[in-house]
Amino acid sequence: MTYEALSQVSQEEGLIELQVGPAHAGSGHMRILVWVEGDTVVKVDPDVGFVHRGVEKLSEGRLYVKAVPMVERPSLVDTVNANLAYVEAVEALAGIKPPPRASYVRVITAEISRIISHLYGIAIFGIFLGTSTVFMWALADREPFIDLLEEMTGARITYSHIIPGGVRWELPADFGDRIETALRYLENRFNEYEKLWVKNPVVVARTQGVGRLSREDAIRLGVVGPNLRASGVKRDIRKDRPYEVYDQLDFDVPVRHEGDCYARLLIRIDEMRESMKIIRQAMKQIPDGKIVYDDYYNKMSPLFKKIYDEGRVKITQSLTSLAPPPGEAVSLVEGGRGEMFYYLVSDGTRFPYRFRSVTPSYRNLPFFTHVMPGQKLADVPAIYGSIDYFPPEADR
Amino acid sequence: MMALSLLILGLSRLELDLIYSLLYILILPGFATALLITLFIIWFERKAAARVQMRYGPLWVSRRTGGIIQLLADGIRFSFQEFILPAGADALPFVFLPGLLLSFSLMPVVFTPVAPAYAILFPAGYTLILAAAFTMIIPVLLVVLGWAADNKFSFLGSLREAYLLISYEVPFLISVASMFLVYRTLDLSFAVLEQRSLPGLLANPLAAIVFLLVVIRSTGRVPYDIVEADSELVFGPYTEYSSLMFGLVMGVPYMELYGYSLFFSVLFLAGWLPISGTGWLMGFMVPAVVTVLKALIVMCFLVFLRSVYPRFKLNRAMEVGWGWVMYLALAGLLLSVIEVAIGW
Repeated sequence: MTYEALSQVSQEEGLIELQVGPAHAGSGHMRILVWVEGDTVVKVDPDVGFVHRGVEKLSEGRLYVKAVPMVERPSLVDTVNANLAYVEAVEALAGIKPPPRASYVRVITAEISRIISHLYGIAIFGIFLGTSTVFMWALADREPFIDLLEEMTGARITYSHIIPGGVRWELPADFGDRIETALRYLENRFNEYEKLWVKNPVVVARTQGVGRLSREDAIRLGVVGPNLRASGVKRDIRKDRPYEVYDQLDFDVPVRHEGDCYARLLIRIDEMRESMKIIRQAMKQIPDGKIVYDDYYNKMSPLFKKIYDEGRVKITQSLTSLAPPPGEAVSLVEGGRGEMFYYLVSDGTRFPYRFRSVTPSYRNLPFFTHVMPGQKLADVPAIYGSIDYFPPEADR
Repeated sequence: MMALSLLILGLSRLELDLIYSLLYILILPGFATALLITLFIIWFERKAAARVQMRYGPLWVSRRTGGIIQLLADGIRFSFQEFILPAGADALPFVFLPGLLLSFSLMPVVFTPVAPAYAILFPAGYTLILAAAFTMIIPVLLVVLGWAADNKFSFLGSLREAYLLISYEVPFLISVASMFLVYRTLDLSFAVLEQRSLPGLLANPLAAIVFLLVVIRSTGRVPYDIVEADSELVFGPYTEYSSLMFGLVMGVPYMELYGYSLFFSVLFLAGWLPISGTGWLMGFMVPAVVTVLKALIVMCFLVFLRSVYPRFKLNRAMEVGWGWVMYLALAGLLLSVIEVAIGW
């Protein structure tokens, strides 16, 4: 339905039409058209596309490796997983297999990214419910992890760390101790979150029973990620279709059955705890070896090999001239917000013929149209915050 | 002291009273103090929240004082911004209501005795009723303001204000009435003297809790910032205001908070007691400072809630208002009746 047609409907039915966004404290980079009758939401139309950058089309004119920094831009707080999903697809096309150590490094950074993403989600949830304290806390508690990755890669958010066939940086020497310190810090902080935020009576009153999505509806609407698991569906790509070394790691998939905003908040905290478990295991199990595949290393110049010994991998011609055989490949990665589906078609040249990405935020859009109606106006930001919706990721 | 000034300045008793009255309204605890307190309390609110949230808060404007004059800097900035009158707005109320709101938010101060001298300056016997009445005008003006702005968010904000007004003013009046039963006077000056043995907070804690809840509600402090709710309604009834007008409407809740807190400190915290005396210093200045300080402590407590709680939902707040806040108020009334019956 076009916007004009929708306005017409509202005039006929005598509802108040609210344009929440694109410049509104509770909208993010999107517009949500909300029709209210009194304080009750009757209809919601999420108007997406305000931050569409055409990542898919732009990637088609670039070398395979040059698309790496671009595909991670849309999901700005969960860059490692977006990066990983793209590289998985390229590797499947080109038939490259990363060495085990690179896989472990990928898993570690991906789980750190998941923690960062969930903390960001909790922060946004906090500010949407009207408390700035949790917003500041959660954003600040990302810092130890961001600092670690910054020291390793040189970037704070967009690491471009994973390349086809390996990773670009070796873990720093004292990474194990420092990540342990950071994890302990976060565990201690969880206790304070629990006191101030999770068990706060006002939070419970605002979120419990609000925005409930049943198991059947969640499956029918194709909701993904923590939001799906909060509705009682045990689906996690890391378990169901393991990639990298997730099948060698022992972790649980937290599931809750209430399907309301409160369950979606709790499940994110549970998942962060699981991510901590994974990081600790991976740090213990990580084997020695190369962080790029053998052929890549062998073709390096002596200078680049010297730089490799310092822990950095230079981009060589092996990557810039990468031309996978004609065919298509699909990758599925469990990102912080849900499953990332990337699809690549190669025509045998050095440029992708077609690139398609389906991001979790876009698949969580049914929350706007199916869960918000019938709730109160104050629940709109509550539900929006609880599903951890990120407009740039949805718009790509 | 008074006799001395009479002698030196050749002022009549009446003229001197007039000067004191002006002093009362303009300096302490009136306009100047209210401005200073607002300056302080906004700074305190931001600084306390910053401490909880691992930030610095206001800092760069006068670093030596910890950024306490940040609000002045903001005010100057506001005054240089463009004032925008929305095309559909009802111009007269839209322009004049912020000023009116500000003056009405200070009205309870006029009817709140902060010192023994008040009884001589303003011999009014019904200050309890007047102070309570003037605190209740502001919500009505807010409804008008929201309607005049011709903005859907402003309109919804003022509707919320209207709903909450009705749900919370009834318990408020019951709480004030139960204190009237305890003190058996409508004159707040006498009410303070009645608290010589036992402050009202201890005499009827239930009424005090209800009173504080209503103060949080009326002044839009967290968790009752439902009317302004920025993630839902942008800025509630004030959405369309810009420039100096925005500064004015920003200040109104704090002025209101000041009025309420003074009322609270007189009604429940024994006002200027244990200080009392006569003359210019002991009969006016020192007791007034004591009362204002008590009010300031109440304000600090109320603004600190921002660091702890998220926002309530409208329907939930109304349920609570007609539910256990009401029961609490009625229980407070019952407590007062029992106290009176046993002749305490």
